[in-house]
Amino acid sequence: MINTSISNITLPLAAFPIVSSEAPLISVLQLMSKLSIGHACVVTENYNLIGVFTDGDFRRMILNSQKPLSALLMDDILIHSNKDPKYVLENEHFENVKSIMQKNKVWDLPVINQEHKLVGLIHMSSIVK
Amino acid sequence: MGNISNKKISPSIFKSVDIGYDKNVKKVTIGNGSPLALIGGPCAIESKDHAFFMAEAIGKIVDDLNVPWIYKSCYDKDCRSAPESFHGCGLEEGLQILSEIRKEFGIPVVSDFSDPSWAKATGEVCDLVQIPAYLCRQTTILRAAAQTGRPIHLKKGQFMSPWNMKNSVRKIEAAGGKNIILTDRGTFFGYNSLINDFRSLSIMAEIGYPVCYDATHSIQNPTSMGIISGGERQFIPSLVRAAAAVGIDALFMEIHNDPKNAKSDPNTVINVKYIKKVLVQAIKIHQLRLELIKELGADEVD
Repeated sequence: MINTSISNITLPLAAFPIVSSEAPLISVLQLMSKLSIGHACVVTENYNLIGVFTDGDFRRMILNSQKPLSALLMDDILIHSNKDPKYVLENEHFENVKSIMQKNKVWDLPVINQEHKLVGLIHMSSIVK
Repeated sequence: MGNISNKKISPSIFKSVDIGYDKNVKKVTIGNGSPLALIGGPCAIESKDHAFFMAEAIGKIVDDLNVPWIYKSCYDKDCRSAPESFHGCGLEEGLQILSEIRKEFGIPVVSDFSDPSWAKATGEVCDLVQIPAYLCRQTTILRAAAQTGRPIHLKKGQFMSPWNMKNSVRKIEAAGGKNIILTDRGTFFGYNSLINDFRSLSIMAEIGYPVCYDATHSIQNPTSMGIISGGERQFIPSLVRAAAAVGIDALFMEIHNDPKNAKSDPNTVINVKYIKKVLVQAIKIHQLRLELIKELGADEVD
Protein backbone atom coordinates (compact mmCIF):
# COMPACT_ATOMS: atom_id res chain seq x y z
CA MET A 1 0.00 0.00 0.00
CA ILE A 2 3.04 2.32 0.15
CA ASN A 3 2.48 5.59 -1.75
CA THR A 4 -1.09 4.60 -2.54
CA SER A 5 -3.64 7.37 -2.88
CA ILE A 6 -6.21 7.81 -0.11
CA SER A 7 -9.12 8.27 -2.50
CA ASN A 8 -10.27 4.65 -2.03
CA ILE A 9 -10.59 5.01 1.72
CA THR A 10 -12.04 8.54 1.90
CA LEU A 11 -15.66 8.69 3.01
CA PRO A 12 -17.80 10.91 0.77
CA LEU A 13 -19.47 14.04 2.21
CA ALA A 14 -22.85 12.40 2.78
CA ALA A 15 -21.36 9.61 4.88
CA PHE A 16 -20.11 11.59 7.88
CA PRO A 17 -21.39 14.49 10.04
CA ILE A 18 -20.87 17.95 8.58
CA VAL A 19 -22.43 20.89 10.43
CA SER A 20 -22.53 24.69 10.47
CA SER A 21 -20.89 26.66 13.26
CA GLU A 22 -24.29 27.68 14.65
CA ALA A 23 -25.77 24.18 14.78
CA PRO A 24 -27.23 23.40 18.21
CA LEU A 25 -25.17 20.79 20.00
CA ILE A 26 -28.07 18.34 20.30
CA SER A 27 -28.65 18.19 16.55
CA VAL A 28 -24.93 17.52 16.02
CA LEU A 29 -25.01 14.66 18.55
CA GLN A 30 -28.07 13.22 16.80
CA LEU A 31 -26.31 13.34 13.44
CA MET A 32 -23.19 11.71 14.88
CA SER A 33 -25.32 8.91 16.33
CA LYS A 34 -27.26 8.43 13.09
CA LEU A 35 -24.10 8.11 11.00
CA SER A 36 -22.23 6.20 13.74
CA ILE A 37 -19.21 8.48 13.52
CA GLY A 38 -18.01 10.29 16.63
CA HIS A 39 -16.49 13.13 14.64
CA ALA A 40 -18.26 16.12 13.11
CA CYS A 41 -16.65 18.59 10.74
CA VAL A 42 -17.66 22.23 11.31
CA VAL A 43 -17.69 24.14 8.03
CA THR A 44 -18.63 27.50 6.55
CA GLU A 45 -21.34 27.85 3.90
CA ASN A 46 -18.64 27.17 1.29
CA TYR A 47 -17.47 24.03 3.04
CA ASN A 48 -14.28 25.57 4.38
CA LEU A 49 -13.22 23.57 7.42
CA ILE A 50 -13.21 25.71 10.57
CA GLY A 51 -13.21 23.08 13.30
CA VAL A 52 -13.99 19.56 14.35
CA PHE A 53 -16.13 18.31 17.20
CA THR A 54 -15.60 14.80 18.54
CA ASP A 55 -16.98 12.39 21.11
CA GLY A 56 -13.91 13.30 23.16
CA ASP A 57 -14.77 17.00 23.05
CA PHE A 58 -18.25 16.17 24.32
CA ARG A 59 -16.84 13.98 27.09
CA ARG A 60 -14.45 16.71 28.25
CA MET A 61 -17.20 19.29 28.04
CA ILE A 62 -19.50 17.27 30.31
CA LEU A 63 -16.68 16.70 32.81
CA ASN A 64 -15.52 20.31 32.91
CA SER A 65 -18.73 22.31 32.57
CA GLN A 66 -20.99 23.25 35.45
CA LYS A 67 -23.75 24.32 33.08
CA PRO A 68 -27.02 22.37 32.99
CA LEU A 69 -27.27 20.01 30.06
CA SER A 70 -30.12 22.06 28.57
CA ALA A 71 -27.76 25.04 28.33
CA LEU A 72 -24.98 23.00 26.76
CA LEU A 73 -27.31 21.49 24.24
CA MET A 74 -28.40 24.90 23.03
CA ASP A 75 -24.91 26.25 22.56
CA ASP A 76 -23.49 26.65 19.09
CA ILE A 77 -21.20 23.83 18.12
CA LEU A 78 -18.16 25.97 17.28
CA ILE A 79 -17.82 27.10 20.90
CA HIS A 80 -16.92 23.54 21.90
CA SER A 81 -14.99 22.55 18.81
CA ASN A 82 -11.29 22.14 18.23
CA LYS A 83 -10.61 25.14 16.00
CA ASP A 84 -7.13 23.95 15.00
CA PRO A 85 -7.88 20.43 13.83
CA LYS A 86 -5.53 18.01 12.09
CA TYR A 87 -6.43 17.33 8.46
CA VAL A 88 -4.88 15.94 5.28
CA LEU A 89 -4.89 17.03 1.66
CA GLU A 90 -6.78 14.93 -0.85
CA ASN A 91 -3.60 13.90 -2.66
CA GLU A 92 -1.89 12.71 0.52
CA HIS A 93 -0.40 9.20 0.52
CA PHE A 94 -1.82 6.40 2.59
CA GLU A 95 1.31 5.75 4.68
CA ASN A 96 1.57 9.43 5.63
CA VAL A 97 -2.05 9.45 6.73
CA LYS A 98 -1.44 6.41 8.88
CA SER A 99 1.56 7.98 10.55
CA ILE A 100 -0.35 11.25 11.17
CA MET A 101 -3.07 9.24 12.88
CA GLN A 102 -0.59 7.30 14.99
CA LYS A 103 1.44 10.34 15.94
CA ASN A 104 -1.57 12.46 16.94
CA LYS A 105 -3.70 9.62 18.27
CA VAL A 106 -6.68 10.64 16.17
CA TRP A 107 -8.94 8.13 14.45
CA ASP A 108 -10.61 10.46 12.00
CA LEU A 109 -9.01 12.94 9.62
CA PRO A 110 -10.86 15.47 7.49
CA VAL A 111 -9.69 15.54 3.88
CA ILE A 112 -9.51 18.95 2.21
CA ASN A 113 -8.60 20.17 -1.25
CA GLN A 114 -6.21 22.96 -2.27
CA GLU A 115 -8.91 25.58 -1.59
CA HIS A 116 -9.22 24.33 1.99
CA LYS A 117 -12.66 22.94 1.24
CA LEU A 118 -13.79 19.76 2.91
CA VAL A 119 -14.04 16.88 0.43
CA GLY A 120 -14.18 13.82 2.67
CA LEU A 121 -13.16 12.05 5.86
CA ILE A 122 -10.76 9.21 6.56
CA HIS A 123 -12.17 7.04 9.29
CA MET A 124 -10.03 4.52 11.17
CA SER A 125 -12.27 1.64 10.09
CA SER A 126 -11.38 2.29 6.42
CA ILE A 127 -7.68 1.97 7.22
CA VAL A 128 -8.13 -1.24 9.18
CA LYS A 129 -9.99 -2.73 6.21
CA MET B 1 -29.11 65.96 40.53
CA GLY B 2 -25.50 66.80 39.67
CA ASN B 3 -23.61 66.23 36.50
CA ILE B 4 -25.18 63.39 34.60
CA SER B 5 -23.06 62.05 31.79
CA ASN B 6 -24.80 59.69 29.38
CA LYS B 7 -22.46 59.91 26.40
CA LYS B 8 -21.52 57.01 24.19
CA ILE B 9 -18.44 55.07 25.27
CA SER B 10 -16.97 52.45 23.00
CA PRO B 11 -16.00 49.79 22.50
CA SER B 12 -18.44 47.36 23.98
CA ILE B 13 -18.70 43.79 22.88
CA PHE B 14 -22.25 43.59 21.70
CA LYS B 15 -24.19 44.42 18.59
CA SER B 16 -26.30 47.55 18.51
CA VAL B 17 -29.86 47.96 17.27
CA ASP B 18 -31.17 51.19 15.71
CA ILE B 19 -34.78 52.09 16.38
CA GLY B 20 -36.67 54.66 14.32
CA TYR B 21 -37.58 54.06 10.66
CA ASP B 22 -38.09 57.58 9.35
CA LYS B 23 -37.08 61.18 9.89
CA ASN B 24 -40.18 61.98 11.94
CA VAL B 25 -38.53 60.53 15.02
CA LYS B 26 -35.21 60.84 16.80
CA LYS B 27 -33.42 57.55 16.18
CA VAL B 28 -32.42 55.54 19.27
CA THR B 29 -29.39 53.23 19.26
CA ILE B 30 -29.38 50.46 21.82
CA GLY B 31 -26.23 48.45 22.65
CA ASN B 32 -22.54 48.50 21.74
CA GLY B 33 -21.63 51.03 24.41
CA SER B 34 -24.45 53.43 23.60
CA PRO B 35 -26.09 55.49 26.32
CA LEU B 36 -28.61 53.59 28.40
CA ALA B 37 -31.98 53.84 26.66
CA LEU B 38 -35.43 53.84 28.24
CA ILE B 39 -38.30 51.81 26.81
CA GLY B 40 -41.20 53.18 28.81
CA GLY B 41 -44.72 54.47 29.01
CA PRO B 42 -48.14 53.47 30.31
CA CYS B 43 -48.81 49.72 30.17
CA ALA B 44 -51.98 50.16 28.13
CA ILE B 45 -53.17 52.99 25.90
CA GLU B 46 -56.02 54.23 28.10
CA SER B 47 -57.10 57.17 25.91
CA LYS B 48 -55.51 59.62 23.51
CA ASP B 49 -55.48 62.34 26.13
CA HIS B 50 -53.79 60.12 28.69
CA ALA B 51 -51.27 58.81 26.16
CA PHE B 52 -50.31 62.37 25.23
CA PHE B 53 -50.22 63.46 28.87
CA MET B 54 -47.80 60.63 29.70
CA ALA B 55 -45.64 61.32 26.64
CA GLU B 56 -45.25 64.90 27.75
CA ALA B 57 -44.60 64.05 31.41
CA ILE B 58 -41.98 61.37 30.65
CA GLY B 59 -40.53 63.45 27.82
CA LYS B 60 -39.63 66.31 30.15
CA ILE B 61 -37.68 63.98 32.42
CA VAL B 62 -35.78 62.05 29.74
CA ASP B 63 -34.93 65.24 27.86
CA ASP B 64 -33.53 66.73 31.04
CA LEU B 65 -31.35 63.65 31.60
CA ASN B 66 -30.53 63.17 27.93
CA VAL B 67 -31.89 59.61 27.98
CA PRO B 68 -32.74 58.10 24.57
CA TRP B 69 -36.36 57.01 24.82
CA ILE B 70 -38.85 54.76 23.07
CA TYR B 71 -42.47 55.33 24.06
CA LYS B 72 -44.14 52.07 25.04
CA SER B 73 -47.86 51.48 25.30
CA CYS B 74 -50.01 48.59 24.15
CA TYR B 75 -53.32 48.63 22.30
CA ASP B 76 -54.44 45.15 23.37
CA LYS B 77 -53.71 43.50 26.69
CA ASP B 78 -54.32 39.85 25.95
CA CYS B 79 -52.98 38.27 29.13
CA ARG B 80 -55.06 39.94 31.82
CA SER B 81 -56.14 37.74 34.72
CA ALA B 82 -59.93 38.25 34.46
CA PRO B 83 -62.51 38.53 31.67
CA GLU B 84 -63.73 41.90 32.95
CA SER B 85 -60.21 43.41 33.07
CA PHE B 86 -59.49 46.29 30.69
CA HIS B 87 -58.42 44.70 27.42
CA GLY B 88 -57.20 47.82 25.66
CA CYS B 89 -58.49 50.33 23.15
CA GLY B 90 -57.96 47.96 20.23
CA LEU B 91 -55.62 47.74 17.28
CA GLU B 92 -57.02 50.44 15.04
CA GLU B 93 -57.52 53.18 17.61
CA GLY B 94 -54.33 52.25 19.46
CA LEU B 95 -52.10 52.40 16.42
CA GLN B 96 -53.67 55.70 15.42
CA ILE B 97 -52.79 57.17 18.83
CA LEU B 98 -49.23 55.78 18.66
CA SER B 99 -48.86 57.21 15.18
CA GLU B 100 -49.90 60.63 16.48
CA ILE B 101 -47.47 60.36 19.41
CA ARG B 102 -44.65 59.68 16.93
CA LYS B 103 -45.51 62.76 14.93
CA GLU B 104 -46.28 65.10 17.80
CA PHE B 105 -43.31 64.22 20.03
CA GLY B 106 -40.79 62.90 17.47
CA ILE B 107 -40.09 59.75 19.44
CA PRO B 108 -40.04 56.10 18.35
CA VAL B 109 -42.91 53.96 19.67
CA VAL B 110 -43.41 50.31 20.58
CA SER B 111 -46.42 48.12 21.27
CA ASP B 112 -46.62 44.40 21.73
CA PHE B 113 -48.94 42.22 19.67
CA SER B 114 -50.50 38.95 20.77
CA ASP B 115 -51.87 37.65 17.48
CA PRO B 116 -49.77 37.03 14.35
CA SER B 117 -52.43 38.72 12.20
CA TRP B 118 -51.81 42.03 14.04
CA ALA B 119 -48.09 42.08 13.22
CA LYS B 120 -48.25 43.80 9.84
CA ALA B 121 -50.31 46.76 11.04
CA THR B 122 -48.22 47.04 14.21
CA GLY B 123 -45.00 47.14 12.18
CA GLU B 124 -46.39 49.78 9.85
CA VAL B 125 -46.70 52.22 12.76
CA CYS B 126 -44.30 51.04 15.45
CA ASP B 127 -40.53 51.49 15.27
CA LEU B 128 -40.05 48.47 17.52
CA VAL B 129 -42.42 45.49 17.78
CA GLN B 130 -42.68 43.67 21.07
CA ILE B 131 -43.35 40.00 21.74
CA PRO B 132 -45.08 39.32 25.07
CA ALA B 133 -43.13 37.12 27.47
CA TYR B 134 -45.86 34.47 27.59
CA LEU B 135 -45.59 34.09 23.80
CA CYS B 136 -41.81 34.21 23.51
CA ARG B 137 -41.50 30.76 22.00
CA GLN B 138 -44.55 30.79 19.69
CA THR B 139 -43.14 30.28 16.21
CA THR B 140 -45.99 32.02 14.38
CA ILE B 141 -45.63 35.16 16.53
CA LEU B 142 -41.83 35.20 16.16
CA ARG B 143 -42.09 34.73 12.40
CA ALA B 144 -44.75 37.43 12.09
CA ALA B 145 -42.55 39.83 14.07
CA ALA B 146 -39.57 39.15 11.81
CA GLN B 147 -41.70 39.71 8.72
CA THR B 148 -42.52 43.26 9.82
CA GLY B 149 -38.86 44.13 9.14
CA ARG B 150 -38.80 46.17 12.35
CA PRO B 151 -36.43 45.57 15.29
CA ILE B 152 -37.97 43.13 17.76
CA HIS B 153 -38.23 43.48 21.51
CA LEU B 154 -38.32 39.89 22.77
CA LYS B 155 -39.07 39.31 26.42
CA LYS B 156 -37.82 36.17 28.13
CA GLY B 157 -40.80 34.13 29.31
CA GLN B 158 -41.07 33.76 33.07
CA PHE B 159 -40.90 30.00 32.46
CA MET B 160 -37.90 30.08 30.12
CA SER B 161 -34.24 29.53 30.87
CA PRO B 162 -32.07 32.34 29.50
CA TRP B 163 -30.07 29.93 27.31
CA ASN B 164 -33.25 28.55 25.74
CA MET B 165 -33.99 32.07 24.45
CA LYS B 166 -31.46 31.23 21.77
CA ASN B 167 -34.12 28.94 20.27
CA SER B 168 -36.48 31.89 19.90
CA VAL B 169 -33.71 34.07 18.50
CA ARG B 170 -32.90 31.40 15.93
CA LYS B 171 -36.57 31.28 14.89
CA ILE B 172 -36.58 35.04 14.33
CA GLU B 173 -33.30 34.87 12.40
CA ALA B 174 -34.65 32.02 10.26
CA ALA B 175 -37.57 34.26 9.28
CA GLY B 176 -35.21 37.10 8.33
CA GLY B 177 -35.16 39.10 11.58
CA LYS B 178 -31.77 40.66 12.25
CA ASN B 179 -32.33 43.15 15.05
CA ILE B 180 -33.43 41.87 18.43
CA ILE B 181 -33.40 43.15 22.01
CA LEU B 182 -33.64 40.50 24.72
CA THR B 183 -35.30 41.40 28.00
CA ASP B 184 -35.45 39.83 31.43
CA ARG B 185 -38.74 40.39 33.26
CA GLY B 186 -38.24 37.87 36.05
CA THR B 187 -38.51 34.12 36.32
CA PHE B 188 -41.19 32.11 38.13
CA PHE B 189 -40.08 31.29 41.65
CA GLY B 190 -42.80 28.86 42.70
CA TYR B 191 -46.42 29.94 42.23
CA ASN B 192 -47.43 33.62 41.93
CA SER B 193 -43.92 34.83 42.50
CA LEU B 194 -40.99 35.98 40.38
CA ILE B 195 -37.28 36.29 41.01
CA ASN B 196 -34.53 37.97 39.01
CA ASP B 197 -31.64 35.69 38.23
CA PHE B 198 -29.23 38.35 37.03
CA ARG B 199 -27.11 35.74 35.29
CA SER B 200 -29.90 35.87 32.69
CA LEU B 201 -28.63 39.23 31.45
CA SER B 202 -25.09 37.95 30.86
CA ILE B 203 -26.29 34.67 29.37
CA MET B 204 -28.69 36.39 26.97
CA ALA B 205 -26.02 38.96 26.03
CA GLU B 206 -23.82 36.06 24.92
CA ILE B 207 -26.46 35.24 22.31
CA GLY B 208 -25.18 38.36 20.59
CA TYR B 209 -27.89 41.00 20.93
CA PRO B 210 -28.43 43.94 23.29
CA VAL B 211 -30.14 43.17 26.58
CA CYS B 212 -32.74 45.07 28.56
CA TYR B 213 -34.07 44.88 32.11
CA ASP B 214 -37.82 45.16 32.69
CA ALA B 215 -37.91 46.73 36.14
CA THR B 216 -41.65 46.99 36.64
CA HIS B 217 -42.68 43.47 35.60
CA SER B 218 -39.79 41.95 37.55
CA ILE B 219 -41.39 43.01 40.83
CA GLN B 220 -44.76 41.55 39.82
CA ASN B 221 -46.41 38.77 41.82
CA PRO B 222 -48.32 37.19 38.94
CA THR B 223 -52.06 36.82 39.65
CA SER B 224 -51.22 36.76 43.37
CA MET B 225 -54.42 38.61 44.20
CA GLY B 226 -56.75 36.09 42.61
CA ILE B 227 -57.97 38.01 39.59
CA ILE B 228 -55.18 40.55 39.44
CA SER B 229 -51.41 40.57 39.77
CA GLY B 230 -49.74 42.09 42.79
CA GLY B 231 -46.37 43.76 42.92
CA GLU B 232 -43.69 45.04 45.23
CA ARG B 233 -42.71 48.35 43.70
CA GLN B 234 -40.41 49.26 46.57
CA PHE B 235 -37.78 46.97 45.06
CA ILE B 236 -37.65 48.71 41.68
CA PRO B 237 -34.77 51.11 42.51
CA SER B 238 -32.47 48.50 44.04
CA LEU B 239 -33.12 45.98 41.28
CA VAL B 240 -32.47 48.61 38.63
CA ARG B 241 -29.12 49.44 40.27
CA ALA B 242 -28.22 45.75 40.28
CA ALA B 243 -29.24 45.21 36.64
CA ALA B 244 -27.30 48.27 35.45
CA ALA B 245 -24.22 47.01 37.28
CA VAL B 246 -24.51 43.51 35.79
CA GLY B 247 -24.85 45.02 32.34
CA ILE B 248 -27.84 46.21 30.34
CA ASP B 249 -28.26 48.29 27.21
CA ALA B 250 -31.80 49.47 27.92
CA LEU B 251 -34.15 49.81 30.85
CA PHE B 252 -37.85 49.01 30.49
CA MET B 253 -40.43 50.54 32.84
CA GLU B 254 -44.18 50.90 32.68
CA ILE B 255 -44.96 54.37 33.95
CA HIS B 256 -48.18 56.01 35.09
CA ASN B 257 -49.23 59.28 36.69
CA ASP B 258 -51.76 57.56 38.95
CA PRO B 259 -50.83 53.88 39.42
CA LYS B 260 -53.73 53.11 41.75
CA ASN B 261 -56.17 53.98 38.98
CA ALA B 262 -54.15 52.60 36.07
CA LYS B 263 -56.33 50.47 33.81
CA SER B 264 -53.63 47.82 33.48
CA ASP B 265 -50.99 46.53 35.92
CA PRO B 266 -51.92 49.01 38.71
CA ASN B 267 -49.74 47.15 41.21
CA THR B 268 -46.54 47.21 39.18
CA VAL B 269 -46.43 50.42 37.12
CA ILE B 270 -44.14 53.04 38.63
CA ASN B 271 -45.37 56.53 39.41
CA VAL B 272 -43.84 59.03 36.99
CA LYS B 273 -42.76 61.16 39.94
CA TYR B 274 -40.16 58.52 40.87
CA ILE B 275 -38.56 57.82 37.52
CA LYS B 276 -36.02 60.65 37.50
CA LYS B 277 -34.30 59.32 40.59
CA VAL B 278 -34.31 55.76 39.22
CA LEU B 279 -32.98 56.86 35.82
CA VAL B 280 -30.20 58.99 37.29
CA GLN B 281 -28.89 56.01 39.23
CA ALA B 282 -29.22 53.67 36.26
CA ILE B 283 -27.35 56.09 33.97
CA LYS B 284 -24.52 56.63 36.43
CA ILE B 285 -24.01 52.92 37.01
CA HIS B 286 -24.26 52.16 33.29
CA GLN B 287 -21.66 54.82 32.53
CA LEU B 288 -19.33 53.53 35.22
CA ARG B 289 -19.64 49.97 33.89
CA LEU B 290 -18.75 51.11 30.38
CA GLU B 291 -15.80 53.10 31.69
CA LEU B 292 -14.57 50.02 33.56
CA ILE B 293 -14.85 47.91 30.40
CA LYS B 294 -12.81 50.53 28.58
CA GLU B 295 -10.21 50.65 31.31
CA LEU B 296 -9.96 46.98 32.25
CA GLY B 297 -11.41 45.12 29.28
CA ALA B 298 -14.32 42.72 29.21
CA ASP B 299 -14.80 40.11 31.93
CA GLU B 300 -12.36 37.28 31.45
CA VAL B 301 -12.86 34.88 34.35
CA ASP B 302 -13.22 31.34 33.04
